[in-house]
Amino acid sequence: MNESLLVDLLTAGLLYGTPLVLAGLGELLAERGGVMNLGVEAMMLMGAVSAFWFVQSFEGPARLAIFLAILVAALVGMAMATLYAFVVITLRANQVVSGLALLILGGAAGLSSYLAAVGELAGPAGRHRLPTYDVLGLSDAPIVGPVIFGQNVLVYASWILVALAAFYLYRTQTGLHLQAVGEDPRSADAMGINVSRYRYGHTIIGGAFAGVAGSYYTLAIQPTWIDGITAGAGWIAIALVITAFWRPGLLLAGAYLFGIVTSLGFTLQARGVDLAPEIFRSLPYVLTILAVVIVSRGGGRGRFKAPAALGEPYSREEA
Amino acid sequence: MRWLPEIHFERRLKPPRWLGPATPPIAVIVALAIGALVLWASGRDPVDIYQRMVRAAFTNPGAFSNTLVSATPILLTGLAAAITFRMKVWNIGADGQLMIGGVLAAAAGTFFAGQSLPVVMALMLLAGIVGGALWAAIAAVLRAYLNTNEVLTTLMLNYIAPLILFYLVFSSTSYWRDLSSQHAKVFPLAKTLAEEHFWPEYGTTVVVPFGFILGAVLAVVLLFLVRSTRFGFQMRVSADSPAAGRYAGIRTGRLLVVVMLLSGAVAGIAGASQIGDFSHRLEPRNLQFAVYGYTGIAVAALVRYHPVGVVISAVLVGALSNAGFNLQGLDLPLGLIGVNQGIILLLVAASEVSTRYRLVIGRRGRDETRAPPDGESGSTAVVDGIGNERPSRGADS
Amino acid sequence: MTAAGTRTQDQDLHTVSARGITKAFPGVVANDGVDFDADRGEVHALLGENGSGKTTLCKILTGLYRPDAGQVLVGGNPVSFRSPADAYEAGIFMVHQHFSLVSSMTVAENVVLGWHREKRRVFNRRQVEEEVARAAERFDMHVDPRAVVSRLSVGERQRVEILKAFYRGARTLILDEPTSVLTPQEAEQLFVSLRRMASEGESVVFISHKLDEVSALCDRVTVLRQGHVSGSADLRTTSVDARGLARMMVGRDIAFSRRSRSEPVGESEPALELREVSAVDADGTPALREVTLSVRPGEILGVAGVAGNGQVALGEVIAGLRDRTGGDITLRGEPLAPGNPRAASDRGLAYVPEDRIGTGLSPGLTVADNCVLKSYRQRQLGRGPFLVKARILARTQRLLEAFNVKGTADSLVRQLSGGNAQKVLLAREISSEPQVLVVATPTRGLDVSAMESIRSLLLEAAARGAAILMISEDLAEILDLADRIAVISRGRIQGVLDADGADAEQVGILMMGGSLEDAGAVAP
Repeated sequence: MNESLLVDLLTAGLLYGTPLVLAGLGELLAERGGVMNLGVEAMMLMGAVSAFWFVQSFEGPARLAIFLAILVAALVGMAMATLYAFVVITLRANQVVSGLALLILGGAAGLSSYLAAVGELAGPAGRHRLPTYDVLGLSDAPIVGPVIFGQNVLVYASWILVALAAFYLYRTQTGLHLQAVGEDPRSADAMGINVSRYRYGHTIIGGAFAGVAGSYYTLAIQPTWIDGITAGAGWIAIALVITAFWRPGLLLAGAYLFGIVTSLGFTLQARGVDLAPEIFRSLPYVLTILAVVIVSRGGGRGRFKAPAALGEPYSREEA
Repeated sequence: MRWLPEIHFERRLKPPRWLGPATPPIAVIVALAIGALVLWASGRDPVDIYQRMVRAAFTNPGAFSNTLVSATPILLTGLAAAITFRMKVWNIGADGQLMIGGVLAAAAGTFFAGQSLPVVMALMLLAGIVGGALWAAIAAVLRAYLNTNEVLTTLMLNYIAPLILFYLVFSSTSYWRDLSSQHAKVFPLAKTLAEEHFWPEYGTTVVVPFGFILGAVLAVVLLFLVRSTRFGFQMRVSADSPAAGRYAGIRTGRLLVVVMLLSGAVAGIAGASQIGDFSHRLEPRNLQFAVYGYTGIAVAALVRYHPVGVVISAVLVGALSNAGFNLQGLDLPLGLIGVNQGIILLLVAASEVSTRYRLVIGRRGRDETRAPPDGESGSTAVVDGIGNERPSRGADS
Repeated sequence: MTAAGTRTQDQDLHTVSARGITKAFPGVVANDGVDFDADRGEVHALLGENGSGKTTLCKILTGLYRPDAGQVLVGGNPVSFRSPADAYEAGIFMVHQHFSLVSSMTVAENVVLGWHREKRRVFNRRQVEEEVARAAERFDMHVDPRAVVSRLSVGERQRVEILKAFYRGARTLILDEPTSVLTPQEAEQLFVSLRRMASEGESVVFISHKLDEVSALCDRVTVLRQGHVSGSADLRTTSVDARGLARMMVGRDIAFSRRSRSEPVGESEPALELREVSAVDADGTPALREVTLSVRPGEILGVAGVAGNGQVALGEVIAGLRDRTGGDITLRGEPLAPGNPRAASDRGLAYVPEDRIGTGLSPGLTVADNCVLKSYRQRQLGRGPFLVKARILARTQRLLEAFNVKGTADSLVRQLSGGNAQKVLLAREISSEPQVLVVATPTRGLDVSAMESIRSLLLEAAARGAAILMISEDLAEILDLADRIAVISRGRIQGVLDADGADAEQVGILMMGGSLEDAGAVAP
């Protein structure tokens, strides 16, 4: 039963969806504060390469290596995000251009590829990969076993983080402040909320999430290195935030849907379905366009709209 | 952020004259310096590598010709980016538009095999323009009429376009695929342009590709278009304030579509030039990894989207790519070029602030920066804050 | 909530004082040695023209600006505020003209924004809502704590701002021209609340340039002119007449151009006519409901109303910037197609929008470009598809001279002062010799001299035979300039009055949504 197509699709959806959840959640927090970071893909790649480098060169027990690699990926993502935050928050640079700059800087033909070359990472398979758990001994249970009880630690972490983010946004004073900063920074500032501190904080945390999401590729999905290993997942994560109306719960659902679509090609091919691979590989991108179109048509009403100050630099001086 | 130096801004009404022209060289120098730091940190000798880069890009025999080869596609994609970014329309899909332009141009070049070179060139250019514009039209129409974020759509289309190329050349027996030659039996290949239809080159010591000349001419044309025509006036108004544009009777949606199509067309020319000038057949993998589109954005941003400036910055960035390509290897991983370009773009974006503000680091109180109260500021704010709200005292209260 | 009774007797009488405050901006000395005291239990007026330094002083008192020289004292002790948060700590709170409310959030959410009492981290919605309701009761200012702010009227929003202040334990409340957005009746209600606050021992600083309000409400008055204190008076003990205050405020006797209504308006056909015009806002809520209006050549029709009652939609619908959902508009007898601003302006309609810099003018372009913003398509400005710069400059030069604008053709619009920018806008629109001129809030935020020249420009245009629709929230201006007054409320025209017989009271009843019968007026 656990060899059925359904289970295959669900597990693959979780596998490919988890980095989207993590990166999307990070972007969601930043965007709720009004900062749009188009450099997610680059932060993910930097996280991926640094985590991989770490596991390849660290001598020590596997679990420690994995744990530290994830930590390193988070820190590298934070460093990238800090640079970005400085440019767009303190220097008020245009967020689209700066995001693309970050993308080129760290992206598939940038620093991540440079580091991979310097570290001679291409080729050999990873020495460690994220272990999966057999939670409560239920991982063999029909259908739900492999899907819910047999996942790795980052999957479980992502579920907890989604719940925490939702609580944070809707039930804490800080979350309320964050929303105010993203909706109306001028009023927030007038109410004594430090707009740039909130923006810095959430952009940097977003970077950490993206870094960890990147590490998921080299530690779980495909423990090896090729340049541009994330293949546009950072962009899909950004699109997911929009199509999830900036809500953590919807983001989780959307990410798994995209995960399933991404894996459709591999899953069906493994079962002998013969179709040009390009068709499957284009599905997530086509689906993203469709989703963004549908949202931009139907959305924009009531509370289901983008944070009003998204992408706008804030300065007290501008009247 | 206590650990950051306190940075304040004083608003200035007019930037000093030297600032505009000074920004690009400063950005390039700082980027090269940071690149040197990266090289040094990874145990390489930056001075040596930079010397070799200069030789590889400029002084070695034939080096500058190769630099122009590298500059040609990014000159065209740079112009494509300059047109839309100026208007704050973010067409980052030049890569996809280039590829689809290339697809159609390749078809035109091989289909009209019996025609003379000028005719084939004209048809290839036309095909490239149509292909690029069509691919851009998807995002343009979605943005103009359904208000769909063009950053995401053009980007997704960048991921889809190479898949189309792969499909045409590798996974199908389409018109584009070469099914007859000896080579193609070993590894799938696209049809090759007849040798008499290769685009011309000019010069002897320095060889200038036709596409580069075309790009330079286009740059001048675009400059005139923006500066001196009614269409350019509409572009400038809408770029500065879309609301003022609508007020002035400009049909902003249509303008946006036209500008996107224009941008896509220029990127499509880059695709045609890739086929006609250089590769002479569709090379899906090369086109996918070249990322001419993103580089074009850096090229255009470096000169603040000034069309003629794009020519200069394309040569400069082309030199960087050419050198990087020549020295590629363990000594100089290709990623360094991306790092340099990324830093240049980041610096240029960050320097934008200096045209409107003077930076003051940790000296004065924050309120010094405010504009003088001319009795206007407070009350105009009310307009935005209240004037645009829905009618108060809703019907049911 | 800080109750008056908890204060000790030895506290200084002054809740907040300013001593010798000086504050300069590049090119302007906004405050020059200003002394000011707000005392417990009083309503203290700060009177002055636009640009006299009132707002700057208050921003210093609330920590938004830091003074170049001088001292702020709270309860007699020197303080140095680094931010508004410091001022809140000291019990000083300002209600700006532009409210600091996040419109997508509820009243209760807005009240707790930025405020960590008891350092609590989890947002207890119900508790906050109860507290807000209690505070509202105390000052007799009803507002539903669960309501989303975007659905509140301007008057209600102002109440939320005041509640926010007291929720944070304000002792000194500074209100920046609070009545400018209210109907006369709402203003009355606000005055009752403010007196209640004073009687409970709080102090209220009331910024205004309206003399009648000051004498009706306030205990003391301090007058500012060009950054100096030009006079002060205790209204409880001395009687100062309005003329005296006005002289302190302006430094000379002023006379606004007032329309002489003796000249009869022609009985000709209306130049602009709206029949049952409806329109909606971006979110689909009705903005205009079956508006019927007409303006004849040479006439000024004033549209009065509280901000946010459909005025923006009215201007935009006529100018073709917004589609209408029903009704017809005719311009000189011919129907006007909806949603086509170019057609409207080609047919002789000029429009001065409320948002001058950003819609009416393009701030990052030059004055010259802005002077041809609508006329750039005219053949005489170019050659083929090209524009000829010299011709644009020549036209700009003519406009600048004819309308006495200070500024050069190549300066950017954002470099102009508010008054000059408005003059450029009006110059462009009036010089096209429009048959119909729609102007929204033509003089808001301008200083007195700019205001005078804008008013006379409008009167001249009317005298030349233009039909003028003037949308304004400044009732006094409408009473001064208009021939007839249409009152708009919730997107509906409540009635049209002849300006000769109308008084502020009547118009106020209509502004609140009352009918002509309620107002006791006779329709013209």
